[in-house]
Amino acid sequence: MTLNLRVMAPNRIVWNSEVQEIILSTNSGQIGVLPNHAPLLTALDIGILKIRINGQWSTMALMGGFAMIDNNQMTILVNEAEKAVEINPQEARDTFQIAQKKLAQAEGRKQVIEANLALKRAKARLEAIDATPPSPVPN
Amino acid sequence: MKLVAAAKVRRAQEAVVNGRPFSENLVKVLFNVNSQLQTEDIDIPLTQIRTVKKIALVVITGDRGLCGGFNNYVLKKAEERMGQLRKIGVEYTIVSIGKKGNGYFKRRPYIPVDRLIDGESAPTTKEAQSIADELFSLFVSEDVDKVELLYTRFVSLIKSDPVIHTLLPLSPQGEVCDINGNCVDAADDEMFRLTTKEGKFSVEREIVRTETPEFSGVLTFEQEPIQILDALLPLYLNSQILRALQESIASELAARMNAMNNASDNARDLNKSLSISYNRQRQAKITGEILEIVAGSTVTI
Repeated sequence: MTLNLRVMAPNRIVWNSEVQEIILSTNSGQIGVLPNHAPLLTALDIGILKIRINGQWSTMALMGGFAMIDNNQMTILVNEAEKAVEINPQEARDTFQIAQKKLAQAEGRKQVIEANLALKRAKARLEAIDATPPSPVPN
Repeated sequence: MKLVAAAKVRRAQEAVVNGRPFSENLVKVLFNVNSQLQTEDIDIPLTQIRTVKKIALVVITGDRGLCGGFNNYVLKKAEERMGQLRKIGVEYTIVSIGKKGNGYFKRRPYIPVDRLIDGESAPTTKEAQSIADELFSLFVSEDVDKVELLYTRFVSLIKSDPVIHTLLPLSPQGEVCDINGNCVDAADDEMFRLTTKEGKFSVEREIVRTETPEFSGVLTFEQEPIQILDALLPLYLNSQILRALQESIASELAARMNAMNNASDNARDLNKSLSISYNRQRQAKITGEILEIVAGSTVTI
């Protein structure tokens, strides 16, 4: 019985293949999924997804959504997904720093909400390429 | 030019078809989560119904011209809606997507504008996401109490239909409503297809109903159903925005196809009548010269 993983974004299917193990980041912690997992439905926060195929781990940054597993079929629906190999490390770092600055300058509830979302996303992308987020920019 | 636009419409249509698996799965889970929530009072930011003091009107136009009346119809409808809102004393702010709309609103500084966003030739999830973020923060921060989306439905190759849908607050069941309160079930998805009929292009729309089977009773919810709904609804918001962008692009391309077609036909007619007119002049001149020569020769004989 093999585990099959489907990851979908609103405009395309990001992943559809058999895998050995999946690790998800939910807002109540990380969940590991192996073949024959019990049926489960969970919300996913903006974070990373780790997949093991042929003993190799690969990572993806997910921008929020949910995951459902039933009968060895895992379906993940997200707003957007980026495979670690598709992310440019320098660009990811720059985006993160810009997001931090924006949050520091944000005024008013609306800007703070927006800035927080952007920061979370930038952080997830950095984590996906296994780079630790740099320390806050000194003023 | 017409065939280039037709190829692009087909690509736009493929984009919609590619989005089907996502919407289908989302609708299935949405229905099932809602059935678990029946008796509870739902208090999720995105579904909050407040007294409407201010509305955000999202206007989707194209980036380029040469598409006939496409952009004008949208902007006319926007003006109409703003007039209605002024009459009932509701404030509004505009979020404009697309260079044509942006230019229109920039030239009219008396219209309150929240943001001007340039469109892209092929709608992406990143674009939909950034628009969704803007609308999400406008709504949740209580800057506005309602978000309406004005876009062009792809009805047929010769007909453009600008419609206004209520985007936020979302209904927990995922219904899509227009401003007159007519609601469509989330499971009914209307798709457009570009086909050929009798050698000419035509558009067919069909309603596809998603099956919503009950989940096997043993499905565990990792979090409270409400939290899961909280994660599902932003996905739904995103896909709604993406769909509106895709339909608008398809309508714009169809309008451009028509405009190009008409332009080619007109040019051909103009060429023909110009040719005829030129030949007539030429023949008249030649006849004139012959007459002169004949007249001249008659005299000398």
